[in-house]
Formats: sequence, C-alpha cells, structure tokens
Amino acid sequence: MILEVQNLTKVYGDKTVVSIPHLNIQAGETVGLVGNNGAGKTTLFRILLDLIRPSAGLIKSKGVHVMESDTWKNYTASYLDEGFLIDYLTPEEYFVFIGSLHDLSTAQVEEYLVQYAEFFNDEILRRGKYIRDFSKGNQNKIGIAAALMQNPELLVLDEPFANLDPTTQIRLKSLIKSLKGNNKMTTLISSHDLNHVTDVCDRIILLEKGIIIKDFLKDENTRRELEAYFSE
Amino acid sequence: MLVTFLSHQRKAFWRSRNRSGSLAAQIVLGFFMLYFLVVALGVGFGMSHVLLQTFPDQDIIKSFNGIILYYFAFDFLMRLQLQDLPTLSVIPYLHLKIPRQKIIGFLNVKALFSAFNLWPFFLFLPFCLTNIESVYGILVTLMYIISVLSIMIFNNYLALYVKRRSISNVWYTVIGLAIIASCAALEYYKLISIMNFSDVIFRTIATHPYLGFVFSILAFGIFKLNSAYLRKNLYAEELSSADEKKASTDYAFLNRFGRVGELAALELKLILRHKRSRTALFMGFLFLFYGFIFYKQPAIAKNAFGQMMFGAIFMTGISIIIYGQFMFAWQSTHFDGLLSNRINFKDFIKAKFLLFTIGCTMITLLASFYGFLSPKLLLLHLTAYLYNIGFGTVVVMYLANYNYKRLDINKSTTFNYQGTGANQWLLMFPYALTPILIYLPFGLLGLPYLGLIIVSAFGLIMLLMRGYWVNYITRKFEQQRYKIAEGFRE
Repeated sequence: MILEVQNLTKVYGDKTVVSIPHLNIQAGETVGLVGNNGAGKTTLFRILLDLIRPSAGLIKSKGVHVMESDTWKNYTASYLDEGFLIDYLTPEEYFVFIGSLHDLSTAQVEEYLVQYAEFFNDEILRRGKYIRDFSKGNQNKIGIAAALMQNPELLVLDEPFANLDPTTQIRLKSLIKSLKGNNKMTTLISSHDLNHVTDVCDRIILLEKGIIIKDFLKDENTRRELEAYFSE
Repeated sequence: MLVTFLSHQRKAFWRSRNRSGSLAAQIVLGFFMLYFLVVALGVGFGMSHVLLQTFPDQDIIKSFNGIILYYFAFDFLMRLQLQDLPTLSVIPYLHLKIPRQKIIGFLNVKALFSAFNLWPFFLFLPFCLTNIESVYGILVTLMYIISVLSIMIFNNYLALYVKRRSISNVWYTVIGLAIIASCAALEYYKLISIMNFSDVIFRTIATHPYLGFVFSILAFGIFKLNSAYLRKNLYAEELSSADEKKASTDYAFLNRFGRVGELAALELKLILRHKRSRTALFMGFLFLFYGFIFYKQPAIAKNAFGQMMFGAIFMTGISIIIYGQFMFAWQSTHFDGLLSNRINFKDFIKAKFLLFTIGCTMITLLASFYGFLSPKLLLLHLTAYLYNIGFGTVVVMYLANYNYKRLDINKSTTFNYQGTGANQWLLMFPYALTPILIYLPFGLLGLPYLGLIIVSAFGLIMLLMRGYWVNYITRKFEQQRYKIAEGFRE
C-alpha cells in the first residue's frame, strides 16, 4: 500500500471541500479521479503534496505522515498547474534544475530527453524562449516531462490532458501505460475527459463535493456508468 | 472615442487588482508621492537659492541655462529604463471597428501620462516665471517655457521610439550615466563645459526668441516619426519590444556551493530576467550616490558616525532591503512547485543568505569610492557591511515569513505596488534603528570609534551565529509555509 488516507477533511469557512474517512491506494495502481468542478480533486492532490494543511486527518505515503517528513519527495513527482513551473527559465534550464534535485547530471538529463523528442514534437527544446512564453499546452508538456524524468514511484497529474493536442494526448496515454508496466509506477490522475480516464486507469474514484461517492475497478461498463452519472 | 479610451484607462487604473492593497500601505504611498511633489515644488521655487549655493561665483541665469541640458540628458536615460510602453492596453481594441489613426492617437496621448512629464513643470516653470521674466520680459519667458516643454515632449517620444525599436538595453543607460558623470567631472576640472554649451543655446533664445520653435519642430518631428512607426507596426506582437533569442546560462562561480549554489543561481536568474527586479537592482546602484547627501564634511570632521550611519546602512544594505522586502513573494508564481519538489528547506533558506551576502559585498566594494572623501568612511562602511550581512539578513528573512501577498513579477514595475503591505514599510524601522541605537551611547560619550567597533562586533557575532539563525528561520518557514503558499495562490 503506497497511500493511506485517514479521516481527512478540509474546511474553508463553513464549506467542506474534502471529506474522506478512508482510502487506500496500492502500489502499481493507476487511479483516475473524476468529478465536476469543486469536487475537491485538486485540493486532495494539494494535501497529498503537503501544500495545504488539512483541517483534520492525515495522508500517509508509504506509511509516513506527509506533513511530518519530506521523504515522500524522494519518490513522488507531480504536475498540477503552471504554478509548478519556474517560468523564467528556458525548458533546458528547467529540466537540468529538476534533474539536479535528483542528482542527475546535465548529460544524463540530455540523454533522458532524447526519448521525448517525439512527445515534444520539436516545439520545446532549443526554441530560445523562456517557459513563460510558451503556449499553455506546451507548458503542460514541459511540466509532465519534468515530472516523468524524476522516475517516480508515485506520479500525480492534475488534468494532464487539458490543453494538449490530440496526438500528444494519445502519446501521453501510451507513456503512462508503458511506465506502469516497466517501473511499477503508481499514478494519480484527475481529468474531466471520461474517455481518457477510463482508457488509461484501472481504478476510478468519483468525487462529489469532497465526498467519494463511487470507487470501483474499471470494466467494460465503466464508461457507461460514468456517463450516466454525469448526465443526471 | 479618445474620451472613451481614457475613461477605460481610468477604470483600469482604479480597478486594477494590485490597488486593493491595505489602506495603510496606500496612505504611506500617498505620503511618499506628496513628499516627492513637495520636494520638486520646493526645488522649483527655491531654484535661485539652490543655484547660488551650488555655483556661487556664477551668474544665476547662466547656471540655470547650464543645467537644463544636463537635466534632460538624465531625464532621457531614466525614461529609457523606467517609462512604460503604452501598448498592451490597446490589444482589446485592435479587432474592433475603430480606425487605426484613432488607436495611434490614443497611444500617443496616453504616453504623455507619465511622471516624467510632470517634473519639468515643477522644476523649471517657477524660475522662468520669476527670474527670467524680470530680466528678459514676457516674450522670452514664454519662449523659454515653450522650449523646455518641447524638449520634454521630444524626450518623451524619442524614448518611446527607441524602446519600440528595442534598440535599448540596460547597458546603454549605464554607459549614458557614466558619460553624464564624466561630463560633470570634466566640467568640474574646467576641461569641457556642457553648461556653457547649454547656456549659449538659451542665450540665443533670449536674444532671438523665435528660435525656441526649433525645439518644437524637433519635438513634432519625433512625434511624427513615432506615429509613422506605429502605423506600420500596429500588431500586438510587434508593439511590445521584440524578443531576442533566449539562451540557457550557467553561473559557474555559484557551483562551488553545491545545491545551495544551484538555488542561488536560480534566484539570480529570476532577478535578471524580470523587469521589476531588474529595476530594483538598477535603483540599488543609483542609491550609491545617496552618500553625498549624508556625508557632509563637518560631520566627517567631527566623527559624527551616528548621523551618517543611516546613509551607510542604507547604501551598503540596499540589495538586502529592496530584494528582502518582497522576499518569497518574488517566487510566488511557482511557489507550489518549489515546495513539492525535492528541495531541502534549509538549503532554500541558505541560498537566500548566500545571495544577500554576495549582493551586499558587491555593493560595499562599489561604495568604497567614498574613501576619497575620507578614509574614515571606509571604516563606517565596513561596520555597516558587517551589520547588514550579520543581522540585517536575519531581520529580513524573519519578516519574510509573514509576507503572504502574491506578487506577479511579470507585470511591469512603474506604479505597480502589488505585493506591498504595511510589512514592507515597517521593515525599515528595526533594520535601520538597531545599529544607530547601539552606536548612540558611545557617540554621546565621545567615543565614536569604540561605537563603530561595538556595532561591528555585534554584526560579526550575528554572522558567526548564522548557522543558528538559518535553523531558526527554517523552522519558522516550515510552520508558515502553508499560509504563505495559500496567499501566493490567490
């Protein structure tokens, strides 16, 4: 078990945005979080990444309380939004910086990036631009690639398919699937796109106003069930 | 149409998010504005007195004529650095049914709303209306005013034109300032005189008043040039200064500090790649001249270090004060990323101390030219330096943990007080008063050098305790980071 949520709540004013009494995630699972805006997906991710202090309860990563120790940073990589990018760097500088945090040399980073040539589609590297000057989709690509480069055991992505072009969406899906097969990587993905989520994930968690209302393993009926829920 | 544009601009100004700062901050800012206004008016009305003081054995009108060109040369360089291009504001109108000519007209009018176009009124008009009028009469006075205002307009549009063509660059300003300074030096040693040249020009206007229109013609010419350029290039991406190719850089000298050095390099890039922080840096260099106000010969002769202490602390510590007052907020746009990555918080804090130490050391070295005034000042600077890196850094870093205001560093700088709270102003008090209070009893007892030694020792002890302070601030930061991150996300 890689993640364990215990009696977690987050309250803003008199509004409860997350309330999860219990949730376990096993190593190697690919979990999709779905739900409308305000369901609490991003808040849950932020608590998991120790960016928000929960009102009560806790999340344990590999059995260690995330607020009490930084060890989870050694095996967790994440990309939630552009706020995770250091936007005044060139992409190359950013990759080298993130790599250096995981003791990768510049040469190793360059070598790693070679396999992403197709994913980047010649739009990222050697463009002579700072990250802030890229389009949102390309910024997304930079953030996701930087997260994958850390070779994480736990990967957290918030809306990774948003702003990406169709080709890149498909490439991203096959990337996640292959990493899961080779590296036993656990992945948490939130998305509004039911097709992609059901395609790539093997477990779906449906959130509504901070509460888990469905948690099930994917089968051939999943898409239909989800569509039924959202069209109500 | 122009009226509609201007009313939109007025709304944009009053409704902008960064004006929603606390009332206290706004009041303090209001006072600052008022202060500068009063100073400018004071200088304007006291111009004859000021000129007599500065150039005692020279005809007052000659001095006045002499400084005009100097003023406008300086004005031009400042405009290059600080004046904003009024461009982005027209993007929402470009696709609407509005003739280009009107949009260009709006851009041209809007460019006039700049503080730089206010100073000449305060500085020069009072003298023209009193002294020039009494010597040359009303016609010449009128032409003087027309000439001064024409040069102002000329500078206004020339600066914008140069910026639009993006033939400008920080170094031009620095070199320009150096040229002005060396002209002033040559003037002082009576080798070349720009003042005489300026005087000759304005004497000519006094004898042939209509020649003042030459300036107006020049101003009109540059105005037309600017408009023509705009008409040809009225595209959003071409209006803002053109992009040069950005290259990746590596600061080798920071690598020896390991991970801390990497974080410091990251922050150095942050400073150099944003307009707002670059401007702060530039202002820091300008403050190097602050000493000329504080270091008066009588004070130096009397060893009155207490009086001069404030100037010394401020000058050598400017990088810490200016950069430190918005600490952490500089990184507010990517703060979440920093927190969730594998960055040790202690390294993060250490990197900031390292950066402060490097900045403060550089400025202190640059400020050693005051040693020519008196070698004593070098002792004073050394004291101020030790205090700044020993204790000043700690004060700034401690207060940084209580700054939750987001600062969008990509926004331009002039009149952008986003991220300003009462904190920033309060910072100055403990920072500047502590060393003066420590020094004061020794100064009063007539032991100025002992006072300096005690303040230095205080700074040195704090510097030796840096390990302790780093741990202390790291703990504080660990408690505060949720609040800081939440504030920065807004």
